[in-house]
Amino acid sequence: MNDIVFELQDVKYSYQKKYPALCGIDMTIRQGEKIAIIGANGTGKSTLLHMLDGLVFPDQGRITAFGQELSEAALADEAAAWKFRSRVGFVFQSADIQLFCPSVREDIVFGPLQLGVAANEVARRLAEVARVLDVGHLLDRVPQQLSIGEKRRVAIASVLAIDPEVYIFDEPTAGLDPLTVRHIIDLVVQANRRGKTIITAIHDLHIVGELADTVYVFGKDKKLARSGPVEQVLSDRAFLEAQNLVHIHGHIHEGREHVHPHLAFERHA
Amino acid sequence: MTRVYNRRPDFIARSIMSAAAFVKEATLCEEHARYAGFLQSLDPRAKAITFLALLVTVAFLEQAALIGLVYCACLVLAWASKISPGYFLIRTWVFIPLFTLGIVIPAMFSFVTPGAALAAFDIWGVRFVITRPGFDGAVLLVARVAASVSLAVLLSLTTRHAELLKVLRIFGVPQVFVLTVTMCYRYLYLFATLVENIFTAIRSRVGVMPQRRAGRRVVAWNIANTWSRTTKISEEVYLAMLSRGYTGEPRLLAGFQLRLRDLVWALAVFVWCAGLLYLERR
Ligand SMILES: Nc1ncnc2c1ncn2[C@@H]1O[C@H](COP(=O)(O)OP(=O)(O)O)[C@@H](O)[C@H]1O
Ligand SMILES: [Mg+2]
Repeated sequence: MNDIVFELQDVKYSYQKKYPALCGIDMTIRQGEKIAIIGANGTGKSTLLHMLDGLVFPDQGRITAFGQELSEAALADEAAAWKFRSRVGFVFQSADIQLFCPSVREDIVFGPLQLGVAANEVARRLAEVARVLDVGHLLDRVPQQLSIGEKRRVAIASVLAIDPEVYIFDEPTAGLDPLTVRHIIDLVVQANRRGKTIITAIHDLHIVGELADTVYVFGKDKKLARSGPVEQVLSDRAFLEAQNLVHIHGHIHEGREHVHPHLAFERHA
Repeated sequence: MTRVYNRRPDFIARSIMSAAAFVKEATLCEEHARYAGFLQSLDPRAKAITFLALLVTVAFLEQAALIGLVYCACLVLAWASKISPGYFLIRTWVFIPLFTLGIVIPAMFSFVTPGAALAAFDIWGVRFVITRPGFDGAVLLVARVAASVSLAVLLSLTTRHAELLKVLRIFGVPQVFVLTVTMCYRYLYLFATLVENIFTAIRSRVGVMPQRRAGRRVVAWNIANTWSRTTKISEEVYLAMLSRGYTGEPRLLAGFQLRLRDLVWALAVFVWCAGLLYLERR
């Protein structure tokens, strides 16, 4: 039982006590798992990830991380917070929010420096993540002035540099070109092979299979609609339609089945 | 809609956009701090202490000519630090009226500062007299503000903000205060970005700034909303900092290093300050 990373029991959360975002979630996430959280917009995916990262806390119910209760009081202890932040890394949905330093270099070293990693080790990690994410030529640039793909790579680099045990990604591939998406998927898969726990919120069903073994589907009622092995959940087309995750318009391309989203008023070419 | 109608709102939009760009540049880019100039090469601690000494000296000086000397030194330092004179003058003189205008102008006249008349004129039958002490006081105040603002601008232009914050901590400023300053900075930056985005969005949808009443309502609503949106975003930025272990304690990759040039600089500044104060007392 000591390989449990996160455990949630009937967790409820509302913003400003008025706008419900999570309405009774039970989950158990084990070390080394690769899981995806899928659901339409506004179903509470980001809120859940914020909670896993110890940024918001349940109004009701209980969440434990690494066997200890995760609460505001627990993280108020500096040593406990330091330990937790070193073990969990979060790539936010918006890279604009995540990157707040005057240069890419400072953004990448921000986490490890804050977490007390020695200077020479920080320098080593900087060189390494800059190579892996191909951002070496951007180190002196202002993050806000980069393209969206570059920003996303820098944001991921800034979390990789912390070298956490658990990676949390909030829609890491949204709005990126196919090559960058590929790059990010490979990175995630490799991290998982090295034993890292991967938690990804996503709504691009094409790549869920590569990013996860287990999926949790969040419904409009902000509860878990279903969870299970990825093939099993994704093969239930009727269920996915009901969850607003695919449009009825699926079709065959080069012998493989694809599902394309379509606007209701859009004419099909 | 005629051109004449469009010109004024577009001018306003352009001014707001350039003000926003200025704030962004000033709060984040730190372009000047990266130049290889003289002040940039000094240790931030030495720089902060010496600039503090200069500011205190300026506050004690009562002779406009001596303060003028400090101001000239600022211009030389700006030049030695590869800051273009035009940029430096704009950066400083934008702020000076802000601090002085409301005080200086009334204080020059006889009904605030009595004394021998220097110049006099009539407006609508009311006699306005500029007095000698009033004028001297105004010159002294403007000189003092100009020198102080120039010092502050020089320091902040040539030092990275993370370093300045670190220096504050070294000098014993509480963590909470440093954290607040940090977040204010981010807030200003985000606010400027948001203003820029909103104006770009409005223009891309409406072409030029809207004229009709509905259009103006959109603008008004957006301006009111900018505050709350900025607050929300800056809260999220704070979470992003927290997520990566931020506690309000600034940390830098390269540690500070005092070298001979820092000591020579500090010594020179202290001697100079002492000299100015001596001349003042004489
Ligand atoms: N800061 C906030 N204030 C109020 N309501 C919010 C806030 N953030 C999210 N919500 C609400 O919480 C619900 C879940 O949002 P979110 O977790 O962002 O969903 P997702 O990431 O799945 O799109 C939504 O109904 C959203 O409107
Ligand atoms: Mg989201």
